[in-house]
Amino acid sequence: MSLWLDKYRPTSLGKLDYHKEQATQLKNLVQCGDFPHLLVYGPSGAGKKTRIMCLLKELYGPGVEKLRIEHQTIVAPSKKKIEINIIASNYHLEVNPSDAGNQDRVVIQELIKTVAQSQQIQSSTQREFKVVLLTEVDRLTKDAQHALRRTMEKYMTTCRLILCSTSTSKVIGPIQSRCLAVRVPLPSTEEVCSVLTSVCKKEGLLLPPELAKQISEKSGRNLRRALLMCEACRVQQYPFSADQDVPEPDWEVYLRETANAIVSQQSPQRLLEVRARLYELLTHCIPPDIIIKGLVEELLNNCDGQLKTEVAHLAAYYEHRLQLGSKAIYHLEAFIAKFMAMYKKFMEDGLDAMMF
Amino acid sequence: MKKFSLGDKVNNWVDPSFSDTSAKSEDKQIWGFQSEERRSRKWKEDQNGSLWMMKSNERGPDEPWVDKYSPCSQGELAVHKKKTEEVEKWMRTHTKATKGGILILTGPSGSGKTATVQVLSTKLGVRVQEWTNPASAEPYLSSLSEWRSQGLSCSSQLAQFQEFLLRVNKYKCLKMKGERGAAEKKLILVEDFPNQFYRQPCSFHDTLRVFVRNSQCPLVFIVSGSRSGEGSLWSLFPKEIQEELHMSCISFNPVPATTMMKVLKNIVYMEAEKQSHKSLYVPEKAELEMLCSGSSGDIRSAINSLQFCCLLEKGLCTLRKPPAMSLKRAAALSKQKGKRAKSAKEQEEHQAIGGKDVSFFLFRALGKILHCKRGNGDCPNESKGASGLVLPFHLLQHHREVLLVQPELVVERSETSGEFFTLCLHQNYLDFFSDIEDVDRASEYLSDADLLTGNWMIRHIIGDYGSSVATRGLIHSNSCQLPVGFRPLHKPSWCLVNKKHQDNCVAAQSLFKSFCLTPVGLQTQLLPFLAKLSNPTRSQAQMAVIQDVGQMSLRTCSGRLKLENLRDKEMGQEIEEEEELHSRVEKGLQVTQSHLLTNQALLEEEEVVIEEYDSD
Repeated sequence: MSLWLDKYRPTSLGKLDYHKEQATQLKNLVQCGDFPHLLVYGPSGAGKKTRIMCLLKELYGPGVEKLRIEHQTIVAPSKKKIEINIIASNYHLEVNPSDAGNQDRVVIQELIKTVAQSQQIQSSTQREFKVVLLTEVDRLTKDAQHALRRTMEKYMTTCRLILCSTSTSKVIGPIQSRCLAVRVPLPSTEEVCSVLTSVCKKEGLLLPPELAKQISEKSGRNLRRALLMCEACRVQQYPFSADQDVPEPDWEVYLRETANAIVSQQSPQRLLEVRARLYELLTHCIPPDIIIKGLVEELLNNCDGQLKTEVAHLAAYYEHRLQLGSKAIYHLEAFIAKFMAMYKKFMEDGLDAMMF
Repeated sequence: MKKFSLGDKVNNWVDPSFSDTSAKSEDKQIWGFQSEERRSRKWKEDQNGSLWMMKSNERGPDEPWVDKYSPCSQGELAVHKKKTEEVEKWMRTHTKATKGGILILTGPSGSGKTATVQVLSTKLGVRVQEWTNPASAEPYLSSLSEWRSQGLSCSSQLAQFQEFLLRVNKYKCLKMKGERGAAEKKLILVEDFPNQFYRQPCSFHDTLRVFVRNSQCPLVFIVSGSRSGEGSLWSLFPKEIQEELHMSCISFNPVPATTMMKVLKNIVYMEAEKQSHKSLYVPEKAELEMLCSGSSGDIRSAINSLQFCCLLEKGLCTLRKPPAMSLKRAAALSKQKGKRAKSAKEQEEHQAIGGKDVSFFLFRALGKILHCKRGNGDCPNESKGASGLVLPFHLLQHHREVLLVQPELVVERSETSGEFFTLCLHQNYLDFFSDIEDVDRASEYLSDADLLTGNWMIRHIIGDYGSSVATRGLIHSNSCQLPVGFRPLHKPSWCLVNKKHQDNCVAAQSLFKSFCLTPVGLQTQLLPFLAKLSNPTRSQAQMAVIQDVGQMSLRTCSGRLKLENLRDKEMGQEIEEEEELHSRVEKGLQVTQSHLLTNQALLEEEEVVIEEYDSD
């Protein structure tokens, strides 16, 4: 039994539920049988990957859906072995080069070279190029991105690249200019609702519109999240009730509690407790930058307008340091300590003002 | 033996400062399990005084004072009375019984472990059989065939050790002529462990088990608890084995300064009396005190340096100070003209003569930073005069009394990496702060320190600055330091957390790769919801990861993270640390690469490399 997410994923450009004009544009793009390198970007859960797979199906036919997972070992010039997972069909292959860490340049060069150098067997009936889909391009090192730009030009005849990333800000200019950029925005709340309703209908369930609305709001318009939430609701209680609790990931609840703990008391002792909670979050594989983002969101809800800009500034400052430094806990804790000190001072000042 | 005469000749024109040790080792018995050891032989000689006199005459003034004045009675031992009594009690009970036991003596080198055993064994009339590793004393075999026939037979140190234990246990000693009889009672002393045991402690444990099963005489192990020795103690004698075999463990402390002073004074007195005809430099009391403090509780090294000191003439002694160094120190210290500066200078000078590097256990080093001591404000004039400035009014909040510790020195002496030290500080500093604003500043300094050490390429240059920022920042930001009393210190949990984070990420990615999700999407979106969906088709391993990563217990605050107390005498060298370092190197590499390569200059070069690479 697969997840609803995978079960009801649209498989062709025509069946996509939203951003339909973009879908037709993409259809027109591959109509002529060729297309430039693509850079597909947009927030998580907007349907980038779905769109790309639909595009590939349009291009190559149903053969692209026969996927296999390969485990490939690439030997770097320094004789270091890099192991990487590749998802491939006969026509394309999908790689997340950032899995290789700082050796991602080698992965890109080596992999694309081998793909590009092997010609398609029956070029008369098939396309004469293969497609390489690179995910998480924004997490590539600069090194790898420059290697990528070079490779892009060199193997243009036999290989097309589709790059998938959440934002273009970390993709270097030369790559952006060599690709056709396609932005996939988040679906609107109504669109999420309609997708949820149609999925439930296919499952033979009745979804009250209020619940659909509630789910789509809680999911932050992230369709992946919305579908998972909906399925979790189904497990929790069926038939659905309109005012049912929408389950959230445990870590988000935990993070919210942590933020409340910070706001409710500001003392070294409390910081110690918060630190233990941060460690707990980290062991549950929540990346530190997501922790800091989540905290800021919760903290901003709790503080006064004057403080908001300062808090946001602090968060940005320490998030940057997080990327530069090596041990995340120092920076997370420094952010929280700063916030505590600031908040405490603000509250005390407010109290003094009330007294007089 | 030719070598000896040559050595004697050489002695004519080079005056040896210490006795010829090679001669001593040469005439040792060849076999590994010699019945007596160098010192124990002397003990026997001690007993009939004439031999002793002759011996000392023969050795002359060149004999190391450590051997010359080694203690011969319980009173002379520079060990606490309670300790010796404890050992004596053990020895008494175990030599009487037919079944032997095992005793482990630990402690820093030069704390009198061996001397205690020797003294007590003579007192109790117990014969000491000592094991020394045979490797260095193996007979030189001239021909290859001889080597083959004999080399194989004596190849295994392990086998020899086992045989030694067995034989000593079983057989009595041969009675030699002139030896005093009635040395029925025996004691086996092992100070020198066969090296193989460090690699395979299991075989050692098996040997011990066999020994304990049919032992008749007590066995004493002496583990020199220098910093590395402490580690070997736990690998050779883990707690389980200690309990299983009913071992007793007595640990010695470093010799306290007062006791050492007494010993040194005694030696100087005796030496001066004996060699009144010779021009012996008698060190002053202050110098003796310095020797005591410099040797950090190691009485052997203290006596050695005392002898060395006395050999020098007075003029020589002052000459030996490295002038450049003392000048630099003086320059550095010239700003503060207090008493302290002078004493510090003296100490520095002394250490040129012969002292030990002082090192702290991690626990103590952390304590020195966290409960940092400052000068009391008794002499404000002096401190103001020394600094020459008084802070302006708006900066008065940053005024602190003069520090009595030098943080860089503490970090250096803690014998851990600056980063690990900073991690330890970070783990523990919150307990010592009472004001959140101070914490705010301290945490900022820690964040800065991490930034400094983040870049692996310049870490070896700048790493020390990182720890300096962390320690000094921490000390300075604690504005209202209260005497908090004893606080338990904990090991940093970051290493463990980081390792677990990475392990979990890798496990999650490898198990759920069929979902084709990015790691972040997988960990923050899919897994938490999978935990909420009861899905029976997952494999066991997948279920485990879902349970572990996706679910969080919202009730308990920190159920899983247990704090591990830092033991009193523990070193910071942890396995996690190395792993952690490794992973950080990789991450650091990534960061720096991305930084570096924004430089246009490097871009060009990079392109060339790529082309070369592609062309093959």
